[in-house]
Amino acid sequence: MTRRDAGWMILRAAAVAGGDKFFSGWLNAAQARAHTHSSGSNAPPDPQDWSAYKPQFFSPEDFRNLETFTEILIPTDDTPGAREACAAPFIDFVVHAAAEYAPEMQEHWRKAMAWLRSQEFGDLSRERQIALVERMSRDPASASYKLIKDMTVHAFYTSRVGLIDVLEYKGLAYLTEFPVCTHPEHHRV
Amino acid sequence: MQRYDVAIVGSGACGGWAAMALAQSGFKIVLLEAGSRIEPYREFHHRWPYELPFRGAGQPGFLRKYHKGSTEYNYRIMVDDRDNPYTTSPDKPFRWIRSRVLGGRTLHWSRASDRMSDLEFKAASRDGYGEDWPISYADIAPYYDRVEEFIGVSAAPANLPQFPDGRFLPPMPLNCAETIFQTACGKIGFPATPRRVAQLTRMLHNRPPCHYCGNCFNGCDVGAMFNTIASTLPPALKTGNLTVFCDSVVSHVLMDDEKRARGIRYLERYTNKAVELEAKVIVLAGSSLENTRLLLNSQPGGLANSSGVLGRYLMDQVSGGGVTGFLPQLKGTTIRNDDGKAGGLYIPNFRNIGAKGGSGKFIRGYAMSASGGAAMFPSFAPGLPGFGSDWKKQVKSLYPAFARVWLSGGEMLARKENFVELDPQVRDRWGIPVLRINCTHCDNDLRLYQDFFEHAQELFRAARGEILDAKPHISVPGSLIHEVGTCRMGADPKKSVLNSFCQTHDVPNLFVFGGGCFVTTGDKHPTLTMMALTARGCDYLTELVRKREI
Repeated sequence: MTRRDAGWMILRAAAVAGGDKFFSGWLNAAQARAHTHSSGSNAPPDPQDWSAYKPQFFSPEDFRNLETFTEILIPTDDTPGAREACAAPFIDFVVHAAAEYAPEMQEHWRKAMAWLRSQEFGDLSRERQIALVERMSRDPASASYKLIKDMTVHAFYTSRVGLIDVLEYKGLAYLTEFPVCTHPEHHRV
Repeated sequence: MQRYDVAIVGSGACGGWAAMALAQSGFKIVLLEAGSRIEPYREFHHRWPYELPFRGAGQPGFLRKYHKGSTEYNYRIMVDDRDNPYTTSPDKPFRWIRSRVLGGRTLHWSRASDRMSDLEFKAASRDGYGEDWPISYADIAPYYDRVEEFIGVSAAPANLPQFPDGRFLPPMPLNCAETIFQTACGKIGFPATPRRVAQLTRMLHNRPPCHYCGNCFNGCDVGAMFNTIASTLPPALKTGNLTVFCDSVVSHVLMDDEKRARGIRYLERYTNKAVELEAKVIVLAGSSLENTRLLLNSQPGGLANSSGVLGRYLMDQVSGGGVTGFLPQLKGTTIRNDDGKAGGLYIPNFRNIGAKGGSGKFIRGYAMSASGGAAMFPSFAPGLPGFGSDWKKQVKSLYPAFARVWLSGGEMLARKENFVELDPQVRDRWGIPVLRINCTHCDNDLRLYQDFFEHAQELFRAARGEILDAKPHISVPGSLIHEVGTCRMGADPKKSVLNSFCQTHDVPNLFVFGGGCFVTTGDKHPTLTMMALTARGCDYLTELVRKREI
């Protein structure tokens, strides 16, 4: 974008409803990038405070088991995990909301949690819990494992923690130029 | 009763263009749109998944009433199938993906803008199957120019006879995965060029350039991608000659006598009140199949159907499963902005393009696309076996390396036995009979798909890619949202509904713009050709009115 284009944008922004906010955000982001080579994300904070969330669908015991299970699937290590991403609270919110159009989804989750209870999952040591998850992951007939994993992966990588802090996603930005591939090795196969 | 010069039904790519062109010709126009007017800035502003209650997936079960492809982001601009049903026989599924909104499907289209060539317009003469189009490339080329110059197509000249070049803005740059695929194409002799998209790489007609947010499928918040609201509607309204009625569901074209249309009847969407209005010329630009449905509903046996082919020769382009996997060169690399332009690398058709055009295995051609890199969701992650820290590190390492090759569209042969008709029982929410769609693939379609599938794997391997998933399956017809035909054009009124200007043979003051007129699908994305034919038809219509011939 040239200087002249930028001037045009600002003039035009005044004429468009909501445009002022949009264009100023764009220009600021563009200039910040141009001047500081900043790699910081422009992603806004999560509007919901999930850490204060009170479970609505799962019983306290099931919710604890779910938290443990998600933290085994995506642990906290040198980067944040399911705990920091509040995967279990989000899953509870979704499954609770399934009552209206997808009650069968609640049934699947009830079964999965009942099975974990039958294994006394909450009372096992962490090593034994991990061993149980490992066994489930190797059992193609375990619908519960697939159910919890699919939902945990969705919850984690759609959270700000998973998408920005862990994956370092760079898209959904305001850019003046698209970053073209500059690697000579990609021009040779 | 208010009498207009022209009544236009539908506000998508063709309805919007017709409104602009005819309003600028000085006609008093009324444009009827079945859906609502929306405010792109408010509706489509950049959204992060965690800003939506269900992170893009919608409340469980809620999106079932919309077609697959609708998400929590965009369902408001998609059609609710309970209000707008259609029927098929159980063994002939068809996916009809629609929008009812001011701007129609231009609000979320893929923006791919390709010119068809004489290899497609005159394919029947080369391989003996079906009919030629009544136009050649030379007839439509000036209109391609005009449309491209107005909507803005970013592209690189490719200098290929099967993929004509046009009036282009600078192309979208390629990301790393696309660069690797382009290099691989060079190695194995496939043509390759940045996908041609109606998405601005510099300012054009007061529209700002793309800011590479990659949000295109949820609608563009600044109008950098071509759509009716940002592009054709403002100049049309500026003339003062255009009246827009939203929430107006058209049910009938009204006739004076057998040879002359006098107006249209529509139902107010929320009150169901029937309203009639008169116009000297009627333009249907609803969508390929909605236009045909309207003609079928306007008169027993179908209006403008002396040929008997109205509803016949339904086509969608062939699509189906491609190849996904990982490019090892990109594993563990720094995360870059890879999905900000939603374009990809385009591999134009290279099959059956010789003078006598025949590989022997199948006739006609197809185009592929390839892309990859970090996306907003690592779609491979749920299926990646394992869990724990190692799994998480593996996801991060594979994240920028994910890549895919897919079928942009292959020619589906025009066959009379693929057709739409009015369902004698089922009606939509407004009491209008719905379409019953009868469509299947023929052997040539399946062989063409199989040929694509082999070449897609060849390309993936040439890029040194590791194939994760490659299961051949042809998609249900309609899936590509390139449905065309059912109102074909032709020189012979006994074998076609429209002439080459999209005017009905039977009713001189009735025009039908959109994909309905297509004689073949070709292997290109259809929208640019629909718009060029609309531009050509509008010139002709204007000329006829000035000469008082209609």
